[in-house]
Amino acid sequence: MSRPFPYAYISCPCADTPVPDPARKRRSRETSHKSNPEDPNAPVPQDYDFEDERTFDPRSPRSNFSLYPPEQLLYCEDCHQIKCPRCITEEIVCWYCPNCLFETPSSMVRSEGNRCARNCFNCPICTAPLAVTTLENVTAGGSQQGPWVLSCGYCMWTTLDIGVKFDKPTNIRTQLSKMTDSSRGRQMSKTFSDLKSPLSTYSSIDDQFPLPSEIRGDETNPATEQSSGPLNPEARFQALKGFYKGQIASTSSSPNDPLADFGAGFSSPGALNRIMSLYTSSSRLGNLYGGTNKKPKSKPPVMREALTTSEGLRVPAPDTENALIRRMASDDCGWDGMASIEQRTFQSPDARFVEDLLPLPVLLRTKRSKRCKSCKHILVKPEFKPQSTRFRIRLIALSYIPLPTLKPLVPSPFAGLPSVTPAAAPNLDALSPLKTVQLLLTLKNHMFDPVRVTLATPSVTPGRVASKVTILCPQFDIGANSDVWDEALQGSSAPGDARASRSGTLGSTEKVAEAGKVWDKGRNWTTVVLEVVPGTLPGGGATRRNRMKQHDDDNDDDNDDSDADSDANVNALDWSGQTKDPNQQLQPDEDVLEIPVFVRMEWDSENQIDQEQSVGKGQNSDTVKRELAYWMVLGVGRISSEMGF
Amino acid sequence: MTSGSTAYNLDERRTSASMSLRHSQSGRPSTPQHHLRSNNSSFASTSSASSSLRGEEDAIVFEFGSRWLRAGFEGDSTPTCVVGCGPEDSRRAGDYRGWLKGSLNAGTSSSQPVKAEEWTGAYELWKMDVRDVDLGLVEDKIERMFRETYNKYLLTDAGTARLVLVLPSIMPHPLLSSVLSTLFSRWRFPSITLLPSPTMAVAAAGLRSALVVDLGWAETTVTGIYEYREIATKRSTRAMKSLLQETGRFLTRLSSNSSGDADEISVNFEFCEEVVSRFLWCKPQADDHGLFASSQLTDSQGGDSESKVEDIAGLLQKTVSIPSPSNPSSNYLEIPFSKLAEPVEKVLFAEGVADCDLDDEEKPVALLAYNALLQLPPDVRGICMSRIVFVGGGANIPGVRQRVLAEVASLIDQHGWSPVRGKVIEQQRQKLRNLRLNERPTSVNSEENTAPPSPKTSIGKGDQEKRDSEEDEIDPVEEKLRRTRDKDTKPPVQGILREVESLGPWAGASLVASLKIRSLVEIEREKFLQHGLAGASRDLDTHGHAPDRRSGLRSGGDRSSWTLAGWG
Repeated sequence: MSRPFPYAYISCPCADTPVPDPARKRRSRETSHKSNPEDPNAPVPQDYDFEDERTFDPRSPRSNFSLYPPEQLLYCEDCHQIKCPRCITEEIVCWYCPNCLFETPSSMVRSEGNRCARNCFNCPICTAPLAVTTLENVTAGGSQQGPWVLSCGYCMWTTLDIGVKFDKPTNIRTQLSKMTDSSRGRQMSKTFSDLKSPLSTYSSIDDQFPLPSEIRGDETNPATEQSSGPLNPEARFQALKGFYKGQIASTSSSPNDPLADFGAGFSSPGALNRIMSLYTSSSRLGNLYGGTNKKPKSKPPVMREALTTSEGLRVPAPDTENALIRRMASDDCGWDGMASIEQRTFQSPDARFVEDLLPLPVLLRTKRSKRCKSCKHILVKPEFKPQSTRFRIRLIALSYIPLPTLKPLVPSPFAGLPSVTPAAAPNLDALSPLKTVQLLLTLKNHMFDPVRVTLATPSVTPGRVASKVTILCPQFDIGANSDVWDEALQGSSAPGDARASRSGTLGSTEKVAEAGKVWDKGRNWTTVVLEVVPGTLPGGGATRRNRMKQHDDDNDDDNDDSDADSDANVNALDWSGQTKDPNQQLQPDEDVLEIPVFVRMEWDSENQIDQEQSVGKGQNSDTVKRELAYWMVLGVGRISSEMGF
Repeated sequence: MTSGSTAYNLDERRTSASMSLRHSQSGRPSTPQHHLRSNNSSFASTSSASSSLRGEEDAIVFEFGSRWLRAGFEGDSTPTCVVGCGPEDSRRAGDYRGWLKGSLNAGTSSSQPVKAEEWTGAYELWKMDVRDVDLGLVEDKIERMFRETYNKYLLTDAGTARLVLVLPSIMPHPLLSSVLSTLFSRWRFPSITLLPSPTMAVAAAGLRSALVVDLGWAETTVTGIYEYREIATKRSTRAMKSLLQETGRFLTRLSSNSSGDADEISVNFEFCEEVVSRFLWCKPQADDHGLFASSQLTDSQGGDSESKVEDIAGLLQKTVSIPSPSNPSSNYLEIPFSKLAEPVEKVLFAEGVADCDLDDEEKPVALLAYNALLQLPPDVRGICMSRIVFVGGGANIPGVRQRVLAEVASLIDQHGWSPVRGKVIEQQRQKLRNLRLNERPTSVNSEENTAPPSPKTSIGKGDQEKRDSEEDEIDPVEEKLRRTRDKDTKPPVQGILREVESLGPWAGASLVASLKIRSLVEIEREKFLQHGLAGASRDLDTHGHAPDRRSGLRSGGDRSSWTLAGWG
């Protein structure tokens, strides 16, 4: 894992409730032999594959999605449950540009394409922020002179590379979109006139009964337009939209009531319209095309496809692909002349070369308030102002669950001087197999109530690399997070409390981890000892690895030669989890020693929110027994392939 | 987007809304209540309330692929974001090793050879072969992708707006079910609409019928669509996945020279994908059918296709430098430009493999397109063959489209529209051809002369062809029909090979959604949560096959059941 060893992850309990698939439920009800009513919200996993007593496997690919560092978790005070990003709902409080920190009003966000509408741009090449600079040198004195460009301070790209200059240093985005969509602007006005609102009588009639002469006219019209080159995707999309709209309007009105189109637009009495339409159609009848007029009346006009460029049809020019190929192969393009996938992500789909890339307005960000998904209780509510980093409400899990920390227990052969031999600490990046390591697990309570904790762990870690784990003292108490001064005062007044046990352990000269005994204890923390025997890797000593390369720890005394070899197969990550590699190859991260620990905590709660409940119930139940249980994963270290000495 | 254009958009939306009210009255009344309810329940602050109003207006369109997820708002021409799926996206929260540039390079540059299937497998969202797919994992991935897409790019509250999913027209039910149940149970989407991607590609091309060639990730599909209905589909495994694998092998060979296991790949996937997207190309068809094929294809090749081919041939000698596969960050490697066309030809066009050696599921793309056309009824075929739409990742490789068109043209030329093959048949056909020999070349020549390279003229040419055929044999009924029809509609282009560009399935769905056209498959939250996919009614007759016509007729009683239409 990328986190430095040792680390702790907490698995959100929501992982135990699979997505309720109604069909699955129904299927199992039809066929099944298990008769218990399946409640999708029940914490009992209702999948048939595993029992609810199953051990959490930190190595399963799914666990990646439920494990979170403790500091990322929230806690719902109503449900008394840990909440991970998967079991909350989010609501956007405000939108702001991370570059200029200006807030964008919600009504503008969408129309601005979720991007900053001011002068904030990112470099299309390297994504660094672009600065507005003037071309004319400042030596001229006037700083406001001259054309302006956007330039990247990191890769020295400027908009001059794509031939774009700005007239003024403000409102760059509007200027840019005007420049790049010049063709589109024209097209827009075109589609406007194409689209002719149904309010205009003439146009809609013409839509319905197109005169042959008009069609001819249409044909010549786009012919001239086609010479002006193909539309860009945006313009084409608008053209298509206009076309479809026109088609729907002209075809879906029922044939015997041609007034449908008028009626929608007008609130005036239909009779007038009818008279008008009679008039127009009769004038049409007077035309030479009287015969044809009957037909569309009897038969609904069929929606047709787009026929011209102005309607959005695009037949690629015959030589486009060859031109592309030639440009790719030309000397001035090369590898760096082609835009990478990452660069193309937010560009127009046609952008293929670096020259086609446009500066990207900065993507907005949001501040979001978070609610519990099941009870809608607000968990996080930030200040509205983008500049503020404060929160109005923030219920982070760490103020409710004990913070786990892990550190290796330095073996001290000479009990008197434990601090003299710090180098003897085991190298967590290269644990030697089958050599017992003792670790100190400290749980620190942040609640104002004392907590009783029970830890459980499988004696052998799941997976192929089976390490033996023993928690020497699986059941212990953690004191309340009382005021620091309380401790001092208590200590002075009543020395027989927590202080006593602590001093007692300290006082013991032979500091040896003992089964059933707490290692150390403080005001609101308790430390217990974990004994781990790392398993052997499947490949044995033959497997080479180079993981330590990047870690480069100070003490490579026990793995000198492992640095020489190199073959980390990060590429082979098997996230799908479907292949069981039969050969002795080591899967990525399989050598990481991770211990699943089941934490169950109980405490008597009496304060804050429970007050309301107790009021309802009456004064007698002023304390409520609470419990919380979850899986925790302790990352101890990497097991080295070499046997220890 | 400029402010002017937004005003325009708003305007349009208003008219479209009023139009939709008129056209599909059945669906409207129920949905607003949904929105109102969710408004009341979950919004306290004014700003987000207005955002939900905004969400009400615009459905959000997601297009699912095996590798990429496209997402955006209806009425936009391009998706707001395109999100990939890779191992970095499946890491634990707080695991930032993908960002540790040094370690990544160190890890992957000299990485161990991996089986090709695993090499690509890590980058797939799902496999269509569900036998060994962990559906729970897929659900997890989808949930995370959706959440991050909403939070990072869409910047709107998830679950308030209608959701439109663009899906392949064939989906395994377990996958579909897990997608839907994940979305419904995680967020409060009032309803989810499903749209088939080939049809949407057709809509985005402005057409009603077309042959959609989708060079996708896992498979290439060729779908014949007539009046928005899928008529015939052909599939092949010659698609981008195998192309990437082939390129990976090619780069592996370049980097190591020591050929170990032929199926193992040791180069970085991202690097390989980069090579594919930047530099792979495809040669025009080899010139052994030469003249005839290219002249058949005048409309897509241009009059001076000969010289272009020469031009490309000149490129074959060129070399280009790409970063060295073994160490992409520092070294460059010179390779002949022609080498970069080889994987495409080998994978997509099965170059150098005899036709008889090919399995049914691995036909080359051109043959696939030809077979699909062959499967269509003749009149549909005539329409479809002049509306070939290329979508999918492979369609972006320069040269692929013209190659497919040229090969299809030469296949037509070789075999006509007859599935019957064989030596005897060939002899007979040869005899017939000899009889006709004096007519054919002249017409071809005239075509070539009169066809400048533009779509407009290809339309004109269609007319001309028609007129030619009219001269050949005059059918009085046809004649009459044509006379009456000519007055109000133009004759559609048909019978010639022509490519039409599409904006892609996502844009099509966005278009359709913004026109407030309702899909046949609209799954409502409550109904799905009751029974899941099993609640879908199989009885297609009650729902009518024509959504357009009968959408107004789908009355209240009918709406109690819903259908999966093509997915059912």
